[in-house]
Amino acid sequence: MTDTIIVGAGLSGLSAAIRLAQAGAKVTLFTFGLGGIQLGQGTIDVLGYSLAGSRPTPADTAITDPFAAMSQHLTGHPGHPYATVPLASIRDSVDWLAALVPDLLTPGDGVNHMVPTALGGLRPTYLIQPSMTWSNPSSIAVVSPRQIKDFYPRLAAANLTKTAHVDAHGYHIDLPARPGEVDSSPVAYATALDRSDFARRFVELVANAIADEEVIGLPAILGLHPDTAESIARALGRPVVEFLLPPPSVPGMRLNVALTQRAKDLGVRVVIGSKVTGFTSAGAKVTGVVVAQAGRDQTYPCDHVVYAPGGFESGALTMDSYGGVRETLFDLPVVGATAEDLITGDYWADQRLFACGVAVDSAMTPLDVLGQPIYTNLHAVGGLLAGAVRWTEKSGDGIAITSAVRAADAIVSPGVTPTTNERTR
Amino acid sequence: MFESTSHEHNLLARASLDQCVKCTICETQCPVMAVTPAFSGPKFVGPQAERYRHGESVDHSLDYCSSCGTCTLVCPQGVKIAELNSVARAAMKKDHMPLRDQLISRTIMMGAVMRPVAPIANAVLANGAARWMIEKVVGVHRKAAMPTAHTRTFASWWKKHTPAQSATAGKVVFFHGCAGQYFEVETSIKAVEVLEHLGYEVVVPPQGCCGLPLQSNGIFDTARGYVKTLAERLNIADDVPIITAAGSCAGMLKHEAHEIMGVDDPAVLRVGGRTREISEFLLDLADRGKLPLDFSPINLEVVYHVPCQVKGQGMGKPALELLRLIPGLTVVDSDATCCGIAGTYGLKKEKYDVGQAVGKPLFDKVRDVNPKLAVCDTETCRWQIAAATGAKVVHPVWLLHQAYGLS
Repeated sequence: MTDTIIVGAGLSGLSAAIRLAQAGAKVTLFTFGLGGIQLGQGTIDVLGYSLAGSRPTPADTAITDPFAAMSQHLTGHPGHPYATVPLASIRDSVDWLAALVPDLLTPGDGVNHMVPTALGGLRPTYLIQPSMTWSNPSSIAVVSPRQIKDFYPRLAAANLTKTAHVDAHGYHIDLPARPGEVDSSPVAYATALDRSDFARRFVELVANAIADEEVIGLPAILGLHPDTAESIARALGRPVVEFLLPPPSVPGMRLNVALTQRAKDLGVRVVIGSKVTGFTSAGAKVTGVVVAQAGRDQTYPCDHVVYAPGGFESGALTMDSYGGVRETLFDLPVVGATAEDLITGDYWADQRLFACGVAVDSAMTPLDVLGQPIYTNLHAVGGLLAGAVRWTEKSGDGIAITSAVRAADAIVSPGVTPTTNERTR
Repeated sequence: MFESTSHEHNLLARASLDQCVKCTICETQCPVMAVTPAFSGPKFVGPQAERYRHGESVDHSLDYCSSCGTCTLVCPQGVKIAELNSVARAAMKKDHMPLRDQLISRTIMMGAVMRPVAPIANAVLANGAARWMIEKVVGVHRKAAMPTAHTRTFASWWKKHTPAQSATAGKVVFFHGCAGQYFEVETSIKAVEVLEHLGYEVVVPPQGCCGLPLQSNGIFDTARGYVKTLAERLNIADDVPIITAAGSCAGMLKHEAHEIMGVDDPAVLRVGGRTREISEFLLDLADRGKLPLDFSPINLEVVYHVPCQVKGQGMGKPALELLRLIPGLTVVDSDATCCGIAGTYGLKKEKYDVGQAVGKPLFDKVRDVNPKLAVCDTETCRWQIAAATGAKVVHPVWLLHQAYGLS
């Protein structure tokens, strides 16, 4: 008999699993495929923009202090997931996560970092990996192997000159990740750079390619091993900053591996490859989940469920051809789905479809249309929650971690969950 | 479903193709792509190339896919990547199936031929000159792991066997598999003895090969016949669980016959739904508080490696959880993707080096943690790990057998 079943292995599922296991709970985590952390960038966003209008925003509108800006942001965004929790718990939760992987994430100091993107923009985020430190240099050499997919150092440098007012130059080196490859993936490079012979060759070519710029910008391929980036920087003798690439994200893989390992070390049973397709219940309690395993359906009994499946991207939320939005496992009511213009033709406009989701109370218990808990031992966390368009705010990671911590704490210590500071549902 | 290798009829896997969002998670986890540029990766030869296949193959690097199934396992969108690729490879090889692939996929024939002359067979397979000849003529790499033949079969033991105690817990069917009949006889015996120790009445109907080696080599027609015949023999009653210590054969019965070869035979589906790998069966008992935990301590540290085809059944790592119930035993999860053998892949002379590179992190861990003993659920993976590391590699049931005081 397992105490708690987690559905999902993204940031919220793993956070909940770790938090519960730390408190001594028996945890089984089911995930259909690998979790989504490596599709992110290995950073932790809390709140990057508080968009008043609906246009893309230049770097100078980025939020510096996300915790100070939170209160005002929530006033303008009723029903936001952050509004269901005490504001102090957001920073506590994110700090707790950072401390789980001290070799990988720099501790938060209350303010956002700016990190360079593949296109040479700067975007705000709260926790970074040490290799992503942007020190506002006066000059930067952006260098990349010609053979890598999806990174163009001259484009990035030219844009950085405009976005960050830095003297930026782009350079190519010729170094396939493996002999004969003309379009190596970031992962192939990261694996190669984890080997000291390849890393030496890489350092040599980079050093020869550049002038006397203050800082060296490299694509985020500096090893799957957390120490590789630092040893490359040491060998180059200048500060190095990783530019975040489209997936597959090497820094995201570092974070996924570190957190998954942490969960396993704490005794979490991780079951990958089977979809949770149903559940059993008695009254207002979920008594088990049904898992579609090879050859048959298997029911796993449980005392609690943390439901961390993600939103539309994972299929946990779907929209049918009539525009009806549904949650697919527990058939929980979806908030915000009846609004007009859920998607508009203007790409930059506020796409409200992606704020659709499940409404919860302060223990992350899903609520029905009358605001009453549906199943008292079911907790919904992460991307499934209603009320935020995460990518425009840069808030998804903080929501995932904070909601997971709240759910785990409510399971471990029922009844002591503080009331919400702002009941908006 | 159509039982055909033509792409048009590969409905189940093809239906999942449009779910691919090109997230590349499969490429980041593919153990073959990580060690050789000869394979252009599961996404590329799978959901991408499949769109261009109309009975003809468009990317022959597909042959380097080991069919470990990691891509399907890690896909968050439910794309049947490995299944698509298995069918495409079968179609690609259909008219020119190498003799080598015909031979190595017939486990019963190998066992039956080697058993009466076991000492000679073992000596030949240990002889460098003979292995050089075999590599040149047949294409099996000279260093590849080969099974050890025994003069005794499981059936000959079973014929003379009487249970030590009377049954109190009901009936189970034991499915030994071909390796469990000829090469891994000791594992089959220990599995039966553990089940009988727990009070089960073990029934062993006559049985043959599940067809998995044929399936993984793309010889579907013969494999379909094998799996149907096997299912009819194992299907003695609707409520009797079928227990096996052959983890990959369990996967064939549970889902691969249906998902890769399109077998819709009712006996196969019924048998698949009742098949349990022995660790899966025992852990389920333990989870429900019904497994006696009166284990004697085993003071050891060992690496446990879960085979791809056990992982692919989507039940986690039951043996890992089960072995951790034995006092004194420290079980280190290999955390390795694949051992590199992938059934018969790592035997082939052109793929041997790839297989060894795939297995290297696992081999290193075994040498590091306990170079004398390691644990793994399936036969060919055990042979691969043993050949690479020199360790004795046993099925988890060996340790349970010992912990219950049966050995």
